[in-house]
This record gives sequence, C-alpha cells and structure tokens, in this order.
Amino acid sequence: MLAPAVLVMLVLFGGAMAGAVRTSVTPLGGHAGAGAWSTLLHDSEFHDAVAFTLRTAVLSTGLAALLAVLVALAARRSGTVVRALLAAPVPVPHLLVATVAVLWLAPGGLAERILGGLPFDVVHDRAGAGVVLVYIYKEVPFLVVLLLSAMGQGYRERDEAAAAVGVSPAQRLRWVLWPTIRGPLVVGCIVVFAYVAGAFEVPLALGPSYPPTVAEYALQRSDADLISGPSVAAAALLVSAAASIVLAALAVRAAKDPQGG
Amino acid sequence: MVRRRHRPGLAGLAGVALVAPLLALVVRAFADEWRSPALLPQRFGLRGVRIALGADTGSAFANSAEVALLTVVAALVIAWPAARVLGERRLRHPAPVFLLLAMPLLVPSYAVGTGLTEWFIRLGLDGTTLGLVAAHLTVVLPYVTLVLLAGFGPRLTAIEEMGSVSGLPPLRRLRLVTIPAAAPTVAAAALLGFLVSWSDYGSSLAIGAGRPMLPVVLLPFVGSDPQVAATLAVVFLAPATAALVFTVRAGRRPL
Repeated sequence: MLAPAVLVMLVLFGGAMAGAVRTSVTPLGGHAGAGAWSTLLHDSEFHDAVAFTLRTAVLSTGLAALLAVLVALAARRSGTVVRALLAAPVPVPHLLVATVAVLWLAPGGLAERILGGLPFDVVHDRAGAGVVLVYIYKEVPFLVVLLLSAMGQGYRERDEAAAAVGVSPAQRLRWVLWPTIRGPLVVGCIVVFAYVAGAFEVPLALGPSYPPTVAEYALQRSDADLISGPSVAAAALLVSAAASIVLAALAVRAAKDPQGG
Repeated sequence: MVRRRHRPGLAGLAGVALVAPLLALVVRAFADEWRSPALLPQRFGLRGVRIALGADTGSAFANSAEVALLTVVAALVIAWPAARVLGERRLRHPAPVFLLLAMPLLVPSYAVGTGLTEWFIRLGLDGTTLGLVAAHLTVVLPYVTLVLLAGFGPRLTAIEEMGSVSGLPPLRRLRLVTIPAAAPTVAAAALLGFLVSWSDYGSSLAIGAGRPMLPVVLLPFVGSDPQVAATLAVVFLAPATAALVFTVRAGRRPL
C-alpha cells in the first residue's frame, strides 16, 4: 500500500535531484565537468547570497519561534474566535502577504501615512528587514497552530499540578512547557527555515537588489546566461538543499537528545 | 481544577493585528487614485480590474486552479493507502519512508522544478498540465500524507471494526463509516495540498515554460503597479478562502 507513494517520490523527487546534479555538471551543449561548481564556489556574489540567505532564514525562524511561543502562551486559554483569528494568515500565500507588505510598508504606504513616517526602510532595504517581517507575519501563526495543538488538556493539567506543588514559573517553563512544545517547535522551525532558505517570491517582491538570496541568485544566473547559467543555478540550489537537509538532521538530533533540550 | 476566565485581550489583539492588514487589499484593488498622504482613496474605480483582466489573469486563474485541483486529487489517491499504513503503525521501520516524504519539504521548489525541467523537456511534458501536476505533486504529496496519517489511527480502525461486526460489506463500510469518520482529516489535507499547489512559484516558473500561472503573473505587478497587484492578490486569495470555508464545513460534518 506504500508502493504508489514511495514510487512517486522516488521517481519525481529522486528524478528532480538527479536532474539537478546532472544539470550542474553538464552545461547545455558542453562536456561534463565541474566548471559550474568552480564558478559558483569562486563567485563572491554567491558568498554574499549565502550569508544573506542564512541571516534572513535564522532571523525569520528565530524571531517567529520566539513570538509564537509568547503568543501561544497568551492564547492557550483563548476561545475559538481568537484561535481562528490567530490562524487566519496560515492559508494566505506568501506572495499575497508580500503584496500587503508593499501596500503598508513601502515609502508612501499606509503605515507611513498613519504614523507620519517609519524609522527605517523596510521595503527593498539592504538588510532585508521587509523580507524578515513578511516571514514573521506568515510563520508565527503557523507555529502558533502547532504549539496550541500540543498545549492541550494534558499540558494544562501538568502545569497546574506543578504550580500546586510549588514549582516556580521559571521552573515550569523549563520542566513542563519546554518538553511539551520542543517536538512541534523544532519540526515547525525546520519547515520554516527550509522554506525561507529556498523560496524567492518574497525576496523578489521586497528584498534588496543586492545581495540576492541563494534562490534569487540561481534565478538570475539562469536568466543571464542560457548556456552555462542553468548549471550554476542547479549547483547553487543543490547547495541550498543540502544545507537545509543537514541543518534539519542536526536539529532533529538536538531535539531528541534530552541533554540538548 | 480552577478554570480561569478567558482573556481575549492580548491574544485577541494579536489576532486582529494579523487579519486587519489583509483588508486593505480590497480597498487598494478598487482605488484608482490614492495619493500619499491621504488615508482614504481620492477616487474609486475599476482600473485595476481592467488591467488585471488583460494580463493573462483568466488563463492563469484557470491553469492554477486546474493544476491545483488535479494535484490534490492525485495526492489524496496516492497518499490515502500510504497514510493508512503509516498512521496505523503497521511498518516495523517507518523512518526511511518518513525521511523520503520529508525531503521535498526541505528542498527549494525551484530546485525540484529545475531538476525536473530537463527530463520533462525530453518527455515533452514541460508547460503541460501533466508536467505541472507532476512537479507540484512532488511538494504536495508529503504534506497530504503527513496530514492524513494523523487521522488514521487506532480510533478509525476500531470504528471500522464495529462496522464490520455490524455486517456492513466493505464498500458500504467505506461510504458509511470510513469516509465520514476521516472527512475532517481529508478536508484538512485537501486544503493544505490545494494551497501549496495554488501558491507554488518555484516549480511553476521552472516547468511552466511561459504558461501563465497566477503567482507568476502576480509577482511583476507587486513592484510596478500596486492597484493591479492588489486586484490580482484578491483573485489569488479567493479560492484559498473558498477552500478554507469548504474545509471548515467538511470538518464540522458529524461522524
């Protein structure tokens, strides 16, 4: 019964990865070689793209996780309406949120009109603040949904029992809350990090013209040079994919290790 | 146990703060003139709608909807048996299967699209509905399987056994017991799968071969024409909202 799903994933995903590897070592009409990889690894724009992508992904994931824990703690006893409002942005596409962000945060946007000015640029700014804000807006509700589903009746009873025997609030966070939310929070953060590191519609809409994210870099290379560009693009995307997979493996391992939590 | 009164204050405020910005899209879509620093538009009109309609929107909407619906149906059919096996913990070593399913969630969808492009060009599938569905399925299938397996556990098996003991033949048991019992989970899986496919940009761009898909049509307007971008964004949001309403209704269906 597993065969259809496994076969589809092996053929399509395996085929995609094999295709990406093949494209990275075989330029259009050329001979197989590691030229694209060499170009990629010596390109300072790629180095900047990696640094910018990592910074954006770490900031977005870290801030979204922190805010999600705070919001979930505040909302753990809330009713259906509040929970529905908090979950509302989950089905909204990222690109749509980017459109809303431009409407509100661009120079002359609604936020500037209401507040009389913003303290710093958040659209197309070099630091990528607009990109991070969009991801926080999108990913906090996603993580809150995961956390609230873990913080059900069982958590409430354990927390109240701990409070009844005199465990301090800080100790309850350490010994009751953290073991309850560690699993879903880590899984959610892995999904968020991988998405932020690999998607390019939000950076294209809101990000700086330089540096690009790794995915934007790949798109630019594909468009700029139809002969060798796709090979460099495929190599860049494979680096991004490999990094996400390795980081996810490390995160899962840390989450499983009781000493690591 | 002491029950505290609900305090909608902080969490409620956060909820409103999350939803309110989206409402400005609708106003922007119909604001033909909205110069800074005015808080309200100077003139309402249908300029955005007219330009959006001329920007491949109709075919992009149809293409995106067709691909998303076909992808969800294919994903549900393929994921159902796999999710039953995984949900009922019938596999002694499920880790490799979970690993295989998790991989596409960690890899950029543009990487999947780029990797599939060369094969699909050779097979004549680039830019076709089948090619786009196959590319989207790579990303959608893991989500659908993971959501479905959460609903396929011992509780569903027990209800099905009660149906069998009551003398229901397999097909009637499926129709009268299994499907109603799993409806909320199936609806949630279908919603998530639809949304992932509907909003996919990376593989649509790589495999689409210039075929208009809604996210690909929308993006260039975000920087160049906010009114048209807002109009397209409202169109972009409509099926997602409809899918959400449908899912909530399906999820409420009694067992």
